[in-house]
Amino acid sequence: MAKLTLDDLRKLRDEKKKSMTQRDANGKRAEVIVGMGTCGIAAGAKIVFDAFLDEMEKAGITDVTIKQTGCMGLCFSEPTVEVLCDDMPHVVYGNVDEKTARRIVRDHLQGKALVSDHIFDKPSTDIIKGAK
Amino acid sequence: MTDMIQNAVEADATEIELAFRETAEWIEFEVRDNGKGMNRETQAKATDPFYSNGQKHAHRRVGLGLPFLLQTAEAAGGKATIESQEGKGTVIRFRAQAQHLDLPPLGDFAGTAAMMLTLMQNGEMKITRSLNERSYTLSRSELTDVLGNLNEAGSLTLLKSYAVSLENDLRKAG
Repeated sequence: MAKLTLDDLRKLRDEKKKSMTQRDANGKRAEVIVGMGTCGIAAGAKIVFDAFLDEMEKAGITDVTIKQTGCMGLCFSEPTVEVLCDDMPHVVYGNVDEKTARRIVRDHLQGKALVSDHIFDKPSTDIIKGAK
Repeated sequence: MTDMIQNAVEADATEIELAFRETAEWIEFEVRDNGKGMNRETQAKATDPFYSNGQKHAHRRVGLGLPFLLQTAEAAGGKATIESQEGKGTVIRFRAQAQHLDLPPLGDFAGTAAMMLTLMQNGEMKITRSLNERSYTLSRSELTDVLGNLNEAGSLTLLKSYAVSLENDLRKAG
């Protein structure tokens, strides 16, 4: 790939925006939050993050927000990924590897079906406000 | 390194600068932020793996980011230092011998840079990456201006391609 300039980047963005407005008409909100604490990174969260990006690019998904967070208190089941979708239950997935990340994009974000074998019930109680 | 950036974001920094230098002999980086900083006492404790201020996780008694960094630097024939002033910010410096057997592989710098840039939700982050005499800079404000919200999948993919193209160009010339 040739070296891109900021102008090239702006053009690519405009092209992408055009195709995006044609495709996304449902207005639903979706957010993917990848745990990037020391534990998450050590367990392969970077690979998972890249897999999400790659799979979304392949699926033509451009409007999902991808965020990162620190340790969720679930170090034993890292990499963890939280998925918030308007019309789906709020889910935390645990032990997410590259393959699972791709499944989350295809099944959860596109197919509206939970990836049941990786669901981790709730975030650890020490990060929920007011929990003792 | 990502951990250090995350610490800076969590310290409410609005300006973060990462300078990463690579030569045949040394791998060095510096993270400078204008976050809340640490007083002398906290600074001393921060290098203890069994210390955490307990703000993020109330019951947790470990904090491994800085201790791991210090350990890696020392194991790889270098040094890491912390310079911090309460209310002003923190500077973390890391230096290790590039060819040292105990230095973990550098990995995918461009992908990591793209991730680090999207860790911050507000404010400016500048990443300057140099290899020998050449370098490139990624600025969060500049990229947000071009791409819009960097956390959207579409923008993130473009951001990553951009960083990869600059990194490849640097490597080709370096």
